[in-house]
Amino acid sequence: MALLELDGLTKRYGGVTAVNDVTMRVEAGEVRAVIGPNGAGKTSLFHLITGVVPATSGEVRFDGRVLSGLSSYQRCQAGLSRTFQLTSLFPEMTARENCRVAAQARLPRRWQPWGGTTVFGEASARGDEALERLGLSAVAGRPAGLLSHGDQRLLEVAMALSQRPRVLLLDEPTQGLSVEETLTAVDTLAGLFAGGGLTVLLVEHDMEVVFRLASKITVMHRGSVIADDVPSVVKDDAAVQAAYLGGYA
Amino acid sequence: MDLLSFLLVQCLNALSQAALLFFLGVGLTLIFGIMRIVNFAHGTFYMLGAFLGYSAVRVTGSFWAGLVLGPLVAGGIGAAFEMGLLRRLYKRDDSAFLMVTFGLTLVLGEIIRLVWGVDALQVQVPDSLSGIVFLLDEPFPVYRLFLVAAGAIVAVGIWQFLERTRLGLLIRATSQNAEMVHALGVDVNLVRSGIFGIGCGLAALGGVLAAPLLSASLGMAGNAIIDAFVIVIIGGMGSFPGSLLAAILVAFVQVFGTYYFPDFAMAAMYLLMLLVLVVRPGGLLGKEA
Amino acid sequence: MRIFVCVALLLAMAPLGLPLFAMTLLTEALILGLLAMSLDLMVGYTRLISFGHAAAYGLGAYASGYLLLHTSLPLPFAVLAASVLAGVVAIGVAWVCTLAKGVSFSMLTLAFAQLLYAVAFKWTSVTGASDGLAGIPRTAGPFGVTVFQTKNGYYYFVLVCLLGAYLFCRSLVASPFGAVLRGIRENEAKTLSLGYNTRLYKIAVVAVSFALGGLAGALYSPFAGFANTELVFWLFSGQVLIMVIVGGQGTLIGPILGAAFFMLLEHVLSQYTESWALFFGLIFIGFVMFAPQGIWGLLTRRARA
Repeated sequence: MALLELDGLTKRYGGVTAVNDVTMRVEAGEVRAVIGPNGAGKTSLFHLITGVVPATSGEVRFDGRVLSGLSSYQRCQAGLSRTFQLTSLFPEMTARENCRVAAQARLPRRWQPWGGTTVFGEASARGDEALERLGLSAVAGRPAGLLSHGDQRLLEVAMALSQRPRVLLLDEPTQGLSVEETLTAVDTLAGLFAGGGLTVLLVEHDMEVVFRLASKITVMHRGSVIADDVPSVVKDDAAVQAAYLGGYA
Repeated sequence: MDLLSFLLVQCLNALSQAALLFFLGVGLTLIFGIMRIVNFAHGTFYMLGAFLGYSAVRVTGSFWAGLVLGPLVAGGIGAAFEMGLLRRLYKRDDSAFLMVTFGLTLVLGEIIRLVWGVDALQVQVPDSLSGIVFLLDEPFPVYRLFLVAAGAIVAVGIWQFLERTRLGLLIRATSQNAEMVHALGVDVNLVRSGIFGIGCGLAALGGVLAAPLLSASLGMAGNAIIDAFVIVIIGGMGSFPGSLLAAILVAFVQVFGTYYFPDFAMAAMYLLMLLVLVVRPGGLLGKEA
Repeated sequence: MRIFVCVALLLAMAPLGLPLFAMTLLTEALILGLLAMSLDLMVGYTRLISFGHAAAYGLGAYASGYLLLHTSLPLPFAVLAASVLAGVVAIGVAWVCTLAKGVSFSMLTLAFAQLLYAVAFKWTSVTGASDGLAGIPRTAGPFGVTVFQTKNGYYYFVLVCLLGAYLFCRSLVASPFGAVLRGIRENEAKTLSLGYNTRLYKIAVVAVSFALGGLAGALYSPFAGFANTELVFWLFSGQVLIMVIVGGQGTLIGPILGAAFFMLLEHVLSQYTESWALFFGLIFIGFVMFAPQGIWGLLTRRARA
């Protein structure tokens, strides 16, 4: 049994089928990239997995448990943490505080209306650890809104990591980054994934990024999965080349 | 009174009530739909219209003069307010608009009190519209028929304006992508001021038309803004057809409900609103799922 | 903390130095300050703009007034019961209002306050309709304690309530619960996606806010001796919001200052003109546009809009 299983997942908006009968198995410890041209349905797929949008049909199973009835915040509590395509942070809080709030969400007494030394202590420890792994310790004290775009994207990942998720879902982590920033980000992420122990689902556009980070690739086109294998095989898949890779040989 | 004439009279009652509610809601929803501003002072502009209608009759003897004067003055004040103050707030979050327009409510309300005093003022129905007609042997006030007609005319008028005219197209474009419109060489600021003015003018028009029925009083504003807002919530914020549908729905529920439960009117509105919020949070014809 | 103790001591010594009319004003200022501070929990700390906080005040005032008139409950218990009632009612109100977000939420709070106003008007047997409740006594406290029945005694009662509420709020906003409120204030969508059930937190803060606002109202009716529909009127809700914004939202102290400022201004202006509402509106607009951090923000040079 894989950690995350998608079975015939489908989403229709009126006449448009955004996600078409997607079946996928993500094993624990994998770094799975989901790629595809614009409009392939990648972000919609994420929305379905995290419960932001209800599926038209099909099932999401996490660690054997069916997620259908659960709302998005409940799925996060179950162990799925995600980042978004458009940067979304707490701009006036420092990077450290951002991660602390993220970590707090998974602690048993997060709602406590008095004191908080224990809760804050544990949350800060987890948050700082995540910042360290993402190479952001130097800017921990800076308000998130004032960080560079590249650091902001990484901070989002750090926040998700602070939650000690079972599965980390990253939606285009290098979105909007310059060439340099992308290189730095990819190095950091590669280091993060190399440490092991993480199961990652990664939506990406940039093929260089994908081939550096992913252990397996799922290719989507117009809502359907057209390839699902290790990078070397996917690279040579004719259908994939036709749909997307163009000149990448 | 047999069933048919009873139904006819009550339906017409409901339609005239719907017309009043529609006038209240449409200005608010237009301003929100296009500028994402909730004009808290909407009720006060409605009240201003009522008082201006009263004065127009006093000074010129003509109700029709009030029908023109009220919206024009209110629209002018609204546009000036947008140009002077609201324009600076576009970079801030929505709550700033809400609060500044609330401040306007206080200031404008007090000015109205200073000019017209604290007493409720009766506005006479114009002679040409007074009296009753007999429909299926039942008496029905002419003025209410006039309201139904006015409501229909304004609804169609706004619809045609938005769909067919160049300015209407500009307005719709600005609501979707202001930067693009600006890049095309249109003065977006002017469009925005214009829209805010039109919204306030529509509120005042509602006030002028309502005055003969309700009389102009200082308490109007508070009830008006809530009624307007309930209509907009039920219909969907920013949806013009939504406000029409909501006005009709609420009016019918109120009129027929009140027949059986006298104090039902206010409860009816709130219950409908609650129902819509639970079932379709974005409003009946709203944009959110 | 030291500043708090100093201010508390200063206020405690007030009856020794101030004449009677000033003490009456001061007591009312403390009550309004409590009301404004309670609203700050919603507005300043969670960005839930409410135009209906007069409902909390009115609920508390009518409830304590009714209990004091019709039962022989000691005053402190009547006040406490009224406050709890306001908090419980708030749960239902908040449940509905939080179905919407942003501006829609704000207008729903207004709608609810209007509903309460209408109920206060119509429920003659309980609320006395437009006449309200009159002749509300200050009953003897438990064990025959009569200290609340004197002007100064009541002042101390109000002061203790305010100081206690302040310490409670301070602790609340610094707690993990308060951290979540801050998240909701800065980016609700993100807070939700991090796994927090944001709606529950919002309902909780509204309930606490109403309970404290209800406490203020419950303190008011025995103080003034009456409770009427003016306490629930929507314009009063707006005035409380103005106190919070002008005083400095998100600081707890700012709104208390705002309430005092407001009272002082009303007292002074009403001697010169009947149109003090006009000036309040203008001052409010001025602050929102040019000094959104409010008086306290200006004094402490904190730039928070």
